[in-house]
Amino acid sequence: MIRLKNVSKTYPPDIVGLQNINLHIRPGEFVSIVGQSGTGKTTLAKMLIAEEHPSHGQIIIGGWDISEIKPSDIPLLRRQIGVVFQDFKLLPKKTVAENVSFALEVCGASPTQVRHIVPQALNIVGLLDKRDRYPRQLSGGEQQRVVIARALVHRPKIIVADEPTGNLDTLNTREIITLLEKINSFGTTIVLVTHNREVVNELRRRVITLDRGLIVSDQEEGKYLL
Amino acid sequence: MILVTAARVIGTAARSLKRNIWLTLATVSVLILTLVSANMLLALNVLGKVALSAVRAKVDVSVYFTPETEENRVQTVKIFLLSLPEVKDVEYVSAARALERFSDLHKNDDDVLASLGELEGNPLGATLIVKARSLDAYPRIMSALEQPSYASVIEAKNFDDRRSVIERIETVSHRIENGGIAVSLLFLFIALLIVLNTIRMSIYSRRDEIAIMRLVGASDGFIRAPFYVEALLWSLLAVVVAGAIVMPAAHFAQPFLQSFFGTSGADLAGFYRVNFLRVFGLQLGATAGLGLLATKIATSRYLKV
Repeated sequence: MIRLKNVSKTYPPDIVGLQNINLHIRPGEFVSIVGQSGTGKTTLAKMLIAEEHPSHGQIIIGGWDISEIKPSDIPLLRRQIGVVFQDFKLLPKKTVAENVSFALEVCGASPTQVRHIVPQALNIVGLLDKRDRYPRQLSGGEQQRVVIARALVHRPKIIVADEPTGNLDTLNTREIITLLEKINSFGTTIVLVTHNREVVNELRRRVITLDRGLIVSDQEEGKYLL
Repeated sequence: MILVTAARVIGTAARSLKRNIWLTLATVSVLILTLVSANMLLALNVLGKVALSAVRAKVDVSVYFTPETEENRVQTVKIFLLSLPEVKDVEYVSAARALERFSDLHKNDDDVLASLGELEGNPLGATLIVKARSLDAYPRIMSALEQPSYASVIEAKNFDDRRSVIERIETVSHRIENGGIAVSLLFLFIALLIVLNTIRMSIYSRRDEIAIMRLVGASDGFIRAPFYVEALLWSLLAVVVAGAIVMPAAHFAQPFLQSFFGTSGADLAGFYRVNFLRVFGLQLGATAGLGLLATKIATSRYLKV
């Protein structure tokens, strides 16, 4: 599903983001990428959605080498990868349903598709009854669930979640992780970037640990090491 | 599907116009100023041409015959003149009609009328008023009348070519035209800068929306298109308002222009009515072109997709 071969990222003049990363994530896996701040976790997440490009090496997603992806192909890649960030990136003047349908509309979905898919996505995240509320009327956890619903509308095979619980309390964090596990159970590959020790330890899934741009550990049922 | 996407793009552009209403007003105002100055230039051009043709129409050669000349001799000269390719028209004024015109012209001058009364009979001969096809033809017509067979019957020839007046009108017209072009270019440059900066502000105010669009896989075209539509909407609005200013202004100025030029040819309102689609269509095309160019520069520079 996702394969990184000798991937390095250097920022001018000579700041090392990632060094010689070799990684293979199989379809349907739930992988946590952990490490302290500045170890390259977010750089790795951004590379998976072609927000950043590797200085060296190859990134292959579903057989597609995106290392030197053409700008015109980036939207096609992003429709296949759902993205969830720490800052919710919701439009405050749109309702929950409008925020979710926005992701479909800007990609050219027909009104029928929008009417069909949006309630499904909201149902998965448990917000169908709050579809007409505005983001400010929701809790942090609920806002993050809207973001997940938005990421789901293209039925992605991969979801990249970069610190999705960074702004949430324990209860909401638990809700979001449970939701991600639920989505993973449908067969979607989840790449979770986090520095939340409790979350990683409770998950008992594969854990990849980064330190100074290097993979220092890759455990199938891992724990937060650092 | 294309219609749905087009409707979404137009909707996004319309929302952006509403969101940045003051910027929109400033941008459209500068575009209107540019268009109005271009229309003033056009009006001056049209009126300059009217003035020139009015002066040209007044250029003629008057051939005065001696009072004794018989009408058939005068008619022979008229036929000769009409046979010349340079001649457009020849008007015959009989001796009686010439006297009538003279008396009419000096009806308030008692001395002239008294002197005329003291003379026995009509002191004036017949006259031919000759109009040429071009100004350059007059000297040739004058020399054609120099032949000896006509010299005995022609008392005088009067040619006022009004060349200096025509040259002065042309010089003033060119100066006004050049000044107008300079002012229009200045407005055009200011409009380009204003449109460019308004698009930049629009990109800034929609930065969160654009970031989300990028994340969820909106195409480059879909993200950029609303900015181009915005520029087109400004252009359309500016041309409509400029038309709403120019058309009534031309209509309002019409009586003054006709009285000033002394001819019904100075019909500015008529010019706009007849050429409405061509004039405002061209202006819409030019304004839209300017807007699209500014948007292209702004989005290439400030919109990272």
